[in-house]
Amino acid sequence: MQMNLSRSLVLLGLSLSIVARAQGTPQSGGDFSSNPQAKKLPSETLLVKGAWSSASDSVTPLPEGGRVTKNIYTNAYFGLTYALSPDWTEKYSGPPPSDSGRYVLAQIRPADTFKGANRGSIMIAAQDLFFTLAPAENTLELINYEKESLNEDFKVEQPPTLVRIADHSFVRFDYGSPVAELHWHVLATQIRCHMVEFIFTSRSTELLETLTQEMNKMALPADAGPISGRGGGDVPMCIRDYASDENVLERVDPVFTEHRFNPAPVRIIIDKEGKVKHLHFLSAFPDQAKAISDALAQWRFRPYLHDGKPAEVETGILFGRAPQRITSSAPKVASE
Amino acid sequence: MKTRKPAFVFACLVALFFPGKAVAQSDPGVRPGAINGQPAATPMSPLPLSSVNANDGSLQFFQNGLSRFQDVESVSKSSTNNNGLGPRFNFNQCSGCHSQPAVGGTGPASNPQFQVIANGIANSSANTIPSFITAKGPTREARFPFFFNSNGSPNTNAPNGGVEDLFTVSGRSDAGSCSLQQPSFSAAQATNNIIFRIPTPVFGAGLIENIDDSTLIANRAAQARNNLGISGTFNHNGNDGTISRFGWKAQNKSLLLFAAEAYNVEMGVSNEIFGQDRPLPGEDQLGSGLPANCLNLTGTGYPEDTTNFTPTVTSSDQFAVNASVLSDIEAFAQFMRLLAPPAQSTTTPGGATSISNGQAIFKAIGCATCHTPTLNFTQPSNITTSLGSAPVTAFSDIEIHHMGVGLADNVSQGGAGGDQFRTAPLWGLGQRIFFLHDGRTTDLLAAIQAHQSSGSEATQVEENFDALSPSQKQDLLNFLRSL
Repeated sequence: MQMNLSRSLVLLGLSLSIVARAQGTPQSGGDFSSNPQAKKLPSETLLVKGAWSSASDSVTPLPEGGRVTKNIYTNAYFGLTYALSPDWTEKYSGPPPSDSGRYVLAQIRPADTFKGANRGSIMIAAQDLFFTLAPAENTLELINYEKESLNEDFKVEQPPTLVRIADHSFVRFDYGSPVAELHWHVLATQIRCHMVEFIFTSRSTELLETLTQEMNKMALPADAGPISGRGGGDVPMCIRDYASDENVLERVDPVFTEHRFNPAPVRIIIDKEGKVKHLHFLSAFPDQAKAISDALAQWRFRPYLHDGKPAEVETGILFGRAPQRITSSAPKVASE
Repeated sequence: MKTRKPAFVFACLVALFFPGKAVAQSDPGVRPGAINGQPAATPMSPLPLSSVNANDGSLQFFQNGLSRFQDVESVSKSSTNNNGLGPRFNFNQCSGCHSQPAVGGTGPASNPQFQVIANGIANSSANTIPSFITAKGPTREARFPFFFNSNGSPNTNAPNGGVEDLFTVSGRSDAGSCSLQQPSFSAAQATNNIIFRIPTPVFGAGLIENIDDSTLIANRAAQARNNLGISGTFNHNGNDGTISRFGWKAQNKSLLLFAAEAYNVEMGVSNEIFGQDRPLPGEDQLGSGLPANCLNLTGTGYPEDTTNFTPTVTSSDQFAVNASVLSDIEAFAQFMRLLAPPAQSTTTPGGATSISNGQAIFKAIGCATCHTPTLNFTQPSNITTSLGSAPVTAFSDIEIHHMGVGLADNVSQGGAGGDQFRTAPLWGLGQRIFFLHDGRTTDLLAAIQAHQSSGSEATQVEENFDALSPSQKQDLLNFLRSL
């Protein structure tokens, strides 16, 4: 009897607990979790991306692939090595490449150990000349355009001028803001049809001059220059609009699965047989990149001939919605 | 020989021992004085655009919308016929969250969401106040970036991002037998699977709505060449492909859509654009939707907010009668559309020289590259003349920009990814209390510094800000608080 009573109480308790669960907190899933000790998401981590950069393989160097290691910025794509001054460091990485071909390659600032009286900053940036919105064909034209489009709040301190840095030709452009008491030194050259810029900012022109002089320690590809810098040698030649009708022997249009409204610029390397060897999307949604990749795999190009021999070539193609380009051309105030 | 006053001596001692403190810049705080810089405005009566008038009826429509913006919604049986609240909601009145410094603004100093149980808006039998809703904190909506899996962990393969309404109508006397539970906010906080958004102010919103795409595109092109690492893009409306412009990620095309979505999502009122009661994202996409006893709580069918075929207003003023025909969402949209933008103070805080200097610095260090001071001009308007051919001094390019991991919310909306946000319009900033999309700070200086993190387009601009002298930084802060 007592045993039956105990059994009945246990069964009653069990039944009540089942009822309570049915009316209590929903099972985990969807908007509900009953497990506060569950796996935690990492903080300050981007897990949901929009249009972003991607590539067809992880071996071929990319413009955005440069890194600061042991106080040296190295970029395999651009063949660039730049030793930072002591007490300078990269704290924050840059945003992804833009859909108009703008790269922030590195943002460098004084470390906590920096002893100088005035701070400054170094931005290493690049602009893919195939996709720039500005009316410029090369780095020299782009810097001249920049000078012409500088607004009235800034004062030109040195107009675009050709200078020698590390035995290579650069265009140098200095300007300042009287109200902010800040100065900028911009030193740019061209590598693989990209403008590569070193942008120094500080209140101190002395610091800027020091940083400019220290650029002489950098290593660059042989052909780097404000108008040259078209690849060749160890890397493919870069040719604007190589994917024009006369060079495309077979073309398959991508089959998109989503209606998108963004430009999807892609750089491709075409091998000696005229097949696409490598793709680098500067900015594209994953579904766009997949559709374009599938299509480009079927394209056949007329092989590029260099000195009469087939050679690899790098070019750019813009898929998606083309952005508005600036049509006015800036007058040339310097020439190479 | 003059006798030195004690206060002067004290000031010297402070300067001697705390030199940094003596010159350090600080946020001047919420600007005192006229609401929106408009002496005629009051907290309950923000000003319409100057061309809004009684002769063409626009004033009656503005006032009707203003009134409805302040209506308190019930679930059912309301004597004022303001029914339709819930079954889930964040608050029961538009102006509850859009009230600083006046109706149409952003979150107030005292958070009305904190009082929903005390004030009988939500019942304690089915609701608790989430820990992130505090008495003096920002009014907020919450989103879970990811759905939970069956083990209760956030599933990074299943993005969510929809609004998780804070409260349910369950337990209210006008909610019948509807029994719902709040989403798992505590677990979401414990697993870092929650983000917040605060209300965007809508002063001057009609001007933003009336900018042609070509103006925005031209501005983007003009700003494209900069040495700051900034390269914005636009979010687009999926239906017609044009630039969308409202909301923290510019995900909404128009004020009507904006109003309709908010009415449905924030208050749970179905309407002629969003015609159903809204379940939680997981209830809809992973479950079976809302339970039957939580549907049609008004007993009148759907949508709960409709065009009023038979005007209920009797008035000798035909325009007042006409305005009563609108549905609530149309009235809200007209109110927002006709609402005047805030006016900048030329002298407060810090004086005219400091503000002017700060404005120049704002441009010089690159803030204005995204926070475009003026977009010229709106397209001609068929609604009221003030909306047409007008400069828009919103301090925004309406573009979305990568803002880095420090601000990323891992919510995708339209073409905007988890780290992309619309450049927040800064007009009216001087009288806002909470800053950034989630209201994480009331300190303008902290808000500026939050622009810098890995992956942010604004890192270099913030670096330029850091290079300014303390007095220059103060001028910039004064300028921002003058807006």
